[in-house]
Amino acid sequence: MATTAAGAQVGRSLPRIEAREKVTGRAEYTHIMQVPGMLHARIFRSTVAHGRIKAVDVSAARQLPGVFAVYTSEDVRKVIPDPYYGPAFHDQPILAIDKVHFVGEPVAVVLASDPHVAEQAVQQIAADYEELPAVFDEVEAAENKIVVHDELKPAGTFADLKHLKGRKGTNIALDFRLRRGDVDKAFASAARVFEHTFRTQKVLHLALEPFASIADYRDDGVTIHSSAQGPSFVRTEIARLLGWPENRVRVKVPYLGGGYGGKLYIKMEALAVALSMLARRPVKVALSMEEQFYTITKHPSTFRIKSGVDKDGRIIARKCEIWWNGGAYADIGPRVTQKSGFTAAGPYDIDNVSIDSYALYTNLTPAGALRGFGIPQLVWAYESHTDMIARALKRDALDFRKLNLLREGRPQATGTILKDAAIEKVLDCIADRLHWKAPFDRGSGTIRRGRGLAVALKAVISPTTSVAIVNISADGSTTLYCGTVDMGQGSDTAMAQMVGEVLNVPAETVRVVPRDTDITPYDMGTLGSRSLFHMGHAVRLAAEDARARIAALRREVGEAEGSNTPLVDLFRKRYGMQAGNIVGTGTYKPDYIPPDSEGLTTNATPFWMVAGSGVEIEVDTETGQVRITRLINVADVGRPINPRIVETQLSGASLMQIGFSMFEKMQIDGGQVTNASLADYKIPGIHDVPPIIENEVVDAYQSNGPFGAKASANLPHSGCRLRLPMQSTTRSACA
Amino acid sequence: MTPFELAEPASLKEAIALIDPDDPDVRPIAGGTALMLMMKAGVFRPRRLVSLRKLGAGFAQITATRDGGLTIGALTPLSMLEHSAEVARHAPVIVRTMRRLSNTRVRNVATVGGALAHADPHMDLPPVLIALGATIKISGPSGERAMPVEDLLTGYYETALARNELITGLRIPPQGTARAVYYKVTAGSADDWPALGVAAAIDSDRGTVKSARIVVSAATVKAMRLKSAESVLIGGKPDDKTISSLADAAVKEADVMADLRGSASYKRELLRVYVARAVRAAMQEVA
Amino acid sequence: MAARTINFTLNGRAVTADVKPQHNVVEMLQTQFALTGARESCGQGLCGCCTVLVDGKPVSGCLYLAVFLEGTDVVTVEHLAGPEALDPVQQAFIEAGAFQCGFCTPGFVLMTKSLIGQHPDPSDEQIRDYLSGNLCRCAGYPEIVNAVKMAARKVKAGTTG
Repeated sequence: MATTAAGAQVGRSLPRIEAREKVTGRAEYTHIMQVPGMLHARIFRSTVAHGRIKAVDVSAARQLPGVFAVYTSEDVRKVIPDPYYGPAFHDQPILAIDKVHFVGEPVAVVLASDPHVAEQAVQQIAADYEELPAVFDEVEAAENKIVVHDELKPAGTFADLKHLKGRKGTNIALDFRLRRGDVDKAFASAARVFEHTFRTQKVLHLALEPFASIADYRDDGVTIHSSAQGPSFVRTEIARLLGWPENRVRVKVPYLGGGYGGKLYIKMEALAVALSMLARRPVKVALSMEEQFYTITKHPSTFRIKSGVDKDGRIIARKCEIWWNGGAYADIGPRVTQKSGFTAAGPYDIDNVSIDSYALYTNLTPAGALRGFGIPQLVWAYESHTDMIARALKRDALDFRKLNLLREGRPQATGTILKDAAIEKVLDCIADRLHWKAPFDRGSGTIRRGRGLAVALKAVISPTTSVAIVNISADGSTTLYCGTVDMGQGSDTAMAQMVGEVLNVPAETVRVVPRDTDITPYDMGTLGSRSLFHMGHAVRLAAEDARARIAALRREVGEAEGSNTPLVDLFRKRYGMQAGNIVGTGTYKPDYIPPDSEGLTTNATPFWMVAGSGVEIEVDTETGQVRITRLINVADVGRPINPRIVETQLSGASLMQIGFSMFEKMQIDGGQVTNASLADYKIPGIHDVPPIIENEVVDAYQSNGPFGAKASANLPHSGCRLRLPMQSTTRSACA
Repeated sequence: MTPFELAEPASLKEAIALIDPDDPDVRPIAGGTALMLMMKAGVFRPRRLVSLRKLGAGFAQITATRDGGLTIGALTPLSMLEHSAEVARHAPVIVRTMRRLSNTRVRNVATVGGALAHADPHMDLPPVLIALGATIKISGPSGERAMPVEDLLTGYYETALARNELITGLRIPPQGTARAVYYKVTAGSADDWPALGVAAAIDSDRGTVKSARIVVSAATVKAMRLKSAESVLIGGKPDDKTISSLADAAVKEADVMADLRGSASYKRELLRVYVARAVRAAMQEVA
Repeated sequence: MAARTINFTLNGRAVTADVKPQHNVVEMLQTQFALTGARESCGQGLCGCCTVLVDGKPVSGCLYLAVFLEGTDVVTVEHLAGPEALDPVQQAFIEAGAFQCGFCTPGFVLMTKSLIGQHPDPSDEQIRDYLSGNLCRCAGYPEIVNAVKMAARKVKAGTTG
């Protein structure tokens, strides 16, 4: 598929093209953006986890000098009659209607020119609730004794969710099921059966740029500036809420101060639009750090995993049951549930597999995608399970994995054949670096040492579409229009490199236009490590189209084949002066076959992502304090487009994961988050960095990828494997 | 933050007069790093703040006294302590503590007086100062008084100060041959607030302990001495058995509280381990 | 509460600003001077995104009342680059690839500038201690440590050569 020969741009460790703006403090982010005449919004939030709203008293707030307006859902419905939004379910109201479903849910909003006045006014709002019983645990939620939503409202966007339409009395937003072989029979014949349950805690993205949206509503259209990972989706959703054609909704996205999946789909945009409609002024909704804890988090999960092993140590059966705690609104939880369900049984060759994965509503802050769409939670569980079985069988953890590993050409649990997935290579590379087969110093006295390794497999979200435009101006300079959001993963740079590769120009001379739905074409979203592959192909196709048109222009003006007349002269010859454009376009959508009723498909994903980690740790046996002394990250990224950025991504993703593995946890008491600040919710700092970090990309080539690449700039879930080694080595070190 | 009024008096007397002892919504502000946090969180919504910043450089000085002690003005920023040659000479434990006390920017602004008056039990400086036997000077409408730091702290964010009393200075007595250590124990990230703080200042003569001040913080409602643990040590030549019974005494004496950073039982174990480590380290330094 | 006028030096120029007691340095810089390099994130002085230099010392702009700037000399990240060249610290951050999303970068750059002023040849430990109050959620810490060392070398080469 890669029709373009390797050139000088792909494979370069070019510094990020926006680097200068970022080090000088000039890079734009929505949270620090100002629009003339804008009002600031401050949100009054629910203090109960589940309750009927009896009254909201905003009279005192309205009377405070300097307050422009105070709005509740009653006002919102005057301008947007059906104000529910969401990617999978239209379940989330712009402001709470009749009921509140979690502590922190927006109930009312104050607008003022001075944000301090708006804040003061929020203090003067009072709400009266009739408290209802609430459910917080995902396994309890599945029992449907306490129901979060009276009726489910699927968006209808996704075929596999339609069967839930109008369903009542349930918290199950989606149930994904996969059946391969005959699990019961295999368990009956197994020599040993192991069953473990793993639970993960609630953590959050905590981007340093909190969520922010500015809406400027006019009668003929609305402009939205937003810290959004998917401008095209925001446009579609706002147009739907307003009953407008999409071309009246303009979504502009500057750089993002971190996203990690949190800023996907629709967050503050609908509220900002509604407020601007009501106020007829530009309105900025910029959250504080604390408010991020009430916006979106990662899914807590419970994973019950059971494996049957034959007398030779081969895993012959695996049963997976996973409950995903989706919080009060579905957000993209159903997708997390289904897509991670594909690979819940891990990177192993198992003939008999049964998977049930449930997306559940609870009365907590909604949960969505966070660096891996559920995969990190699963990997921690199945790789811990793997180690626990190996230990019980008195087998080496590496040998046991290699015995059971899924290899190239073999069907994965869904039935899709594994291709271009260097699982074994990654595992071997980690083992080599750890000198796994050599004796290991386990420490002495109060300091004991341990180590571990883990490997994981992920399917990409599919099928999704990306469109790109490459424009050659009459002076020969090149501009790329694409909707991929650069939130730090370096996509602008990688895309410029691909354009440069095709058109044989230095990547740094390619202008990448900031995302603006009036200008940049459709893209499904910057998510799930899809962009480099999907948008990469679209960009490649657009550049190839432009290149073909340049060749056509050359012929048209009578240039000989292979002439190297500068582009500007071709334009001059054609138009009599420096004028005109060449526009190349590219659209990419991979093939995909949706899973059947048994969860099986021969084409679950256009490519597989593979990564693994190894760690060495020290444990203080007197205090239980653990220190990571060495961290190894290895990934198969296909051919890296920008090796330096790939390495930064691997390292950064793994260090972020150290926080999730070691100490990050949202503390929740009766539905109330009790550590909603950076003072009490700690993320990794510079002193938490292990003294040794090694990152390696194995030699690989994605045969259907753009220039042999796949998820290069964003293979974030690699670090997630860390969870397992942490746990298993702690155990062995303390044993 | 909600709007408030700011007064910037130029004299101590004026400052004290501007603080209404009956109005909890009027407070003094110096560096403001801790107070701003409370204001931003909405925990404290002042009507008026009385800035102490214009009281003059005289309150931001470090002086070595002839007897080998130190006097430190209440408005001295923590970074001045961190970089002071006098502090390094007379109380090196303070300089070492600064490395992990909040961060560079906060230390550039936060003041010694503020770190004491705030009375957050998680702060690092109070246990160290108690171990060093420091006293503070206080000014109020009726004049001046002095008080040991250990008496200043009366509870969780509570002090013995009247609302219109201000800390004006600190005195650290000469340490002689005594040596002090401070352990900040974090249970989560390396730079978290401590789950436990332990300070120990010990003087010994050829292995026999002459004096010992052992202080616990963060795990208790306030930084406080563990006198029963001290008494196990004083007058003897501590061996493993002594240190083990000292740790037992410390755990028995300290009223340990659970919080986000650990259960009470876990923190008691931390205390048992770290009070022993602190005493050993201090003993080693003296020797 | 009434606004008051304060006088101070901002990035080398004498300026005045009208501020109310509740305004912090970050919002004053953003609303009155259109300087957005210092930005508020955690709001608690823990992440360092709001770093500015006041009388040569880094402080957290989100915890610093604007009225307290009266008579001071304030430097923001926008002042570091000259018309032709970036500051060696900025150049080093680019060459070392020491950022991803870039939101925390101005804070790290200013802290590094200040650190190198105090310790022209900082050790790894000094770097980590000095920067421990700056957070990077993309976790580019190893690259940041490299950038600081590279910056120190660049500054040294610049002053001696």
